[in-house]
Amino acid sequence: MTRLCAVGLVSGWGAGVAALPADAPAAADGRRVIPVPRPALDGERFRRATRECLLGVAAVEAMLAEGELTRDAIRGADTALLYVTAAAYGASNRLFIGAGGGSPARTEGGLAETRRGSASATSGSALAEESRGGRAGTLHFPYTAPSAVPAEVAIEYGLTGGYVILVGGARATIDAIWQAARLLAARRCRRALVLTVETFAECEDLWARGRWAARGPLVEAAACALLEGDGHVGYEPADGPAPLERLAGRRAGQVLACAPLVAAALAREAGQTEARLTGEWRGRRAAVTLALPAAGTPALV
Amino acid sequence: MSAPVAVLAAGVATPLGLDLESFWSALVTGVDGTTGIERFAVADLRVGRGGEIKKIAPLRGGSAPRCRASALLLKAADDLLGRAALTADPARIAVVVGTALGGVEELERALADAPGPRAAAAGLYDSPAHALARRLGARGPVLTVSTACASGATALGIGADLLDEDAADLVVAGGYDILCRFVMRGFDALRSLTRDRVRPFDRRRSGLLLGEAAGLVLLARERDARGRLGRLLGHATSSDGSHIAAPDPDGRGLEHALRAAMAAADVAADDVDLVSAHGTGTILNDRIETEVLKRVLGPRAYRVPVNSIKGALGHTMGAAATLEAIMCLLAARDGVVPSTLGYEEPDPACDLDYVPREARHVRPRVAVSTSLGFGGCNAALVLEGGG
Repeated sequence: MTRLCAVGLVSGWGAGVAALPADAPAAADGRRVIPVPRPALDGERFRRATRECLLGVAAVEAMLAEGELTRDAIRGADTALLYVTAAAYGASNRLFIGAGGGSPARTEGGLAETRRGSASATSGSALAEESRGGRAGTLHFPYTAPSAVPAEVAIEYGLTGGYVILVGGARATIDAIWQAARLLAARRCRRALVLTVETFAECEDLWARGRWAARGPLVEAAACALLEGDGHVGYEPADGPAPLERLAGRRAGQVLACAPLVAAALAREAGQTEARLTGEWRGRRAAVTLALPAAGTPALV
Repeated sequence: MSAPVAVLAAGVATPLGLDLESFWSALVTGVDGTTGIERFAVADLRVGRGGEIKKIAPLRGGSAPRCRASALLLKAADDLLGRAALTADPARIAVVVGTALGGVEELERALADAPGPRAAAAGLYDSPAHALARRLGARGPVLTVSTACASGATALGIGADLLDEDAADLVVAGGYDILCRFVMRGFDALRSLTRDRVRPFDRRRSGLLLGEAAGLVLLARERDARGRLGRLLGHATSSDGSHIAAPDPDGRGLEHALRAAMAAADVAADDVDLVSAHGTGTILNDRIETEVLKRVLGPRAYRVPVNSIKGALGHTMGAAATLEAIMCLLAARDGVVPSTLGYEEPDPACDLDYVPREARHVRPRVAVSTSLGFGGCNAALVLEGGG
């Protein structure tokens, strides 16, 4: 069976599952988005990195800390990286669009005005403003791709193995866990990182138009799971949510692609030895099952 | 990683033609599908050319959606369904499509002037894949892959995995992307676009032109296939882990992916008859790819035709790798390899056989196709032509 050897979580509620409230909608107290501040990561290399990229790095750091692992444990071609998001590219896309009314030269100096007012006028978030400042120049364009987040993670940790990026919500994360399991089964890797990041603050007004916002607070989050083992996960369609999916929704709120990893973290904290994870997106739901070695059990790495 | 799967049929929508045979005929005869862009303003950009589809013909039995990305995908699906039927339980039909840009033009529209939930949701990158699934009546897994310009290859690989896993009986897999101001402005600002024509592997190459297209294939397990265009024998991906927007200068990631795909396919260098290169026409990409091919294929690299179809189409991003895979299978079917349009003057740093001037009458059996994308994404496919 495929084992969940470590899982890290940062969310709008704080670090780890311990920070999750008992009832996310109640804790949100009417707020539509629960944001995560831009992680404070130093270094010239992160100067242009977007908030979502830094959240990806922060999630990996949290996973390493939870699993008591060093960076060297995951470096190299034996580690596959599978990244999932439904929405974390929205901020960078909006920023680039907002900077784009005029000529390329106009984009060089940072955030320009949009054709219909300032780009921040509709975001309603100081956090969004902070995360945008000074990053709309020429070199921002590569950060509009969903691949920017896993790229920054791969660069930071020297990950050069199998690489899959899926766009979608919780169902896509189940698909990614299945893809990770296939890579393990085929011995294409010795371990796989499943990384999820969701941000909403910069596009809060757009999310408010949809049904998602009505279902509870949209909670920004980033999570990373380290998987090892024989690659069996029992990937299959699911008719309804597993108890862990319901629990993750109640505790964390709407975290979209991060939901299955939140569920896994909750199961691990509760001392479960196995976790059946389900995830739904756009009316499609699937399930996988992971073994959960006790926290502190050394990973093969 | 997967057992070989059958490629039953293909469908396309490209600047060279809105159906498979028009596309193929134009490739073989050396038509340049890049033109001045007319659909949106480009006067402020350094480069205003690209592989633009001037008119999307009406879809069968319905009007085209407003989302251009979805419209291209549905047009390619129309072409595909004209060649093969989806004869499986809808719950066992999967859709896997790759894209670099998704519905970003719809996001732009939603931000500018379109109120309402549908306009906002259409900006999500996975919306076109779900539009395709609705059109096909597919109720199995629907996956959107976004490994940048390698997406169309990664999607085919995941499609094969779904069949191998018995998670589907038929998979419609491929890739798409559109030309829009968003992407033109981005590449223009990066100074990646050429004012010349695209010249893959040529001494004078100076950058790429973008294009828009959709390409789809219908995949099935071999035992379920009755008649086929060819087979997908192996696939692999890798991460460079070196730079956000440039390939690893030594091509280590691409080499890793290519070796892994060939190992999965149980194919040796001497088995390879054709290389469909990523071949963007940028200084760096073409040199790196050449070096990787020489390292992986050894002396065989000098004896196999290596072509790039980006001179004819522009770089169609999420669609590129799927169209290149289709090209490999059609080359095997008809015994002709399209030339590398724009390649005229050899570069000492790119010293392989790039199929200059005109299509070559050879019948490749096994082909490898390589792809790279922003974010250090690499993918490789191994294909075999023939029924």
